[in-house]
Amino acid sequence: MLSMNWHKLLALFLWISPHALLGVLAVVLCKRRLYREFPAFSAYVFYEIAEFILLFTLYFVQGTGGKQYRYAFCATLLLSIALRFGVIDEVAKGLFRKSQFLKVAARRWLLCIQGLLLMMAVLLAVSAPGGNSLGLAAGIFVVNRGAALVQCGLLIALLLSSRFLGLSWHPPAFGIALGVAVLTTFDLAMFSLRAEFTSATGKEILNLLTTGTYLICVLLWIGYLRVPEAEPDSSSLAVLPHDEVETWNTEFQHLLRD
Amino acid sequence: MEHGVSTLAQGLVTAWSLVAVAFFALGILAYLAIRRTRRVSSEEAAQAFRSLDIEAFRNLVDSAEEAFLRDNLPPKKFRQIQRQRARVALMYAWEAGKAATDLARVGHAAQRSSDPEIAASGVQVAESAFRLRLQSMGACLHLLTEVVFPNLQSRSVPHLVDQYKQTAETLFRLARFSAGERSLVRSKSG
Repeated sequence: MLSMNWHKLLALFLWISPHALLGVLAVVLCKRRLYREFPAFSAYVFYEIAEFILLFTLYFVQGTGGKQYRYAFCATLLLSIALRFGVIDEVAKGLFRKSQFLKVAARRWLLCIQGLLLMMAVLLAVSAPGGNSLGLAAGIFVVNRGAALVQCGLLIALLLSSRFLGLSWHPPAFGIALGVAVLTTFDLAMFSLRAEFTSATGKEILNLLTTGTYLICVLLWIGYLRVPEAEPDSSSLAVLPHDEVETWNTEFQHLLRD
Repeated sequence: MEHGVSTLAQGLVTAWSLVAVAFFALGILAYLAIRRTRRVSSEEAAQAFRSLDIEAFRNLVDSAEEAFLRDNLPPKKFRQIQRQRARVALMYAWEAGKAATDLARVGHAAQRSSDPEIAASGVQVAESAFRLRLQSMGACLHLLTEVVFPNLQSRSVPHLVDQYKQTAETLFRLARFSAGERSLVRSKSG
């Protein structure tokens, strides 16, 4: 009895605390006026808070077994997935915003990655449709698994290509990308398992892991969004010594003559 | 019954494979989050470019040179030499790509400068560096193919040389601008 209460308390804590912290995040977004730079992420944060209020109310009225709760859970999850795509698009646009060349080249590259991942997700849904669950829940888990695959793949491609190209992130944008990447990566693992395991204990453990990860991601967002913007290092361009530049000049003059 | 068991097994294999993929992805994310990008000064970027001998690289990817070797060496020896040339050229292209990344960082940092001229130069430097980075990647793949198949004759690597030159020119212009600005600051303070 005691262990059951302890477990229920932990589950409630892990469900409530990230959403309470999302409230703090919303305050940070408003206070630092980051909603202007990240409108999609701000919308996602406010949506997640509203979603929690709705689901929490339904949970207390009818529990997780109620029909309305299940429908609301599925519908809000689908909208949440769609909003995450918006957030990914926003951070990608922000990263390549300053380069005309990358705006075209990198977006083309990301579209290719997206197409490839989408194809993998569809193939995965067809080949492993999560045979152990039934009805709407099974379908939702498979959709979320596919979406998580595409989203985490896209974000990792984005983070790796920025490292490869020498692009520097603003701390808030990096934090948002990292948080969503961790969230979707865990979603990929958790929803893959949930599509296959239907035992009550298994579901409870996976639920705890999912909400625990969400808490970590919200903390990551708050941490990165509170980091002050570093002052640009304007001295970095003024340190090239003239004689070295002249050596370069001579070198290129030789090259141009050849 | 048998079909059901095999479907179940397939589902479990898929689920655990995806969990493995997710953990691998988490490893990458942890690496990216923990390992901060090294701050590069324009001096270091210039040094990286200066350390690359563009003439030697041009020589290594010269098709006339290759034709000469092909005509004058026995096929086996030619393949051996050509493989070595491609391997060294690959190292040059790799280093040029790394130098381009450093330069891109310098340019990207300069874009945030409050001085509009430095910011504009930063944009120019970064653009050239991004192009060079992508070109170097293409060149690396091309040269890697040559290491594996030394008899292949097609060459598009000189395009990389042009790109390298263009980037170096930009860097040079930027350096001259920066030096001018520095002397201006000195004369103002002096």
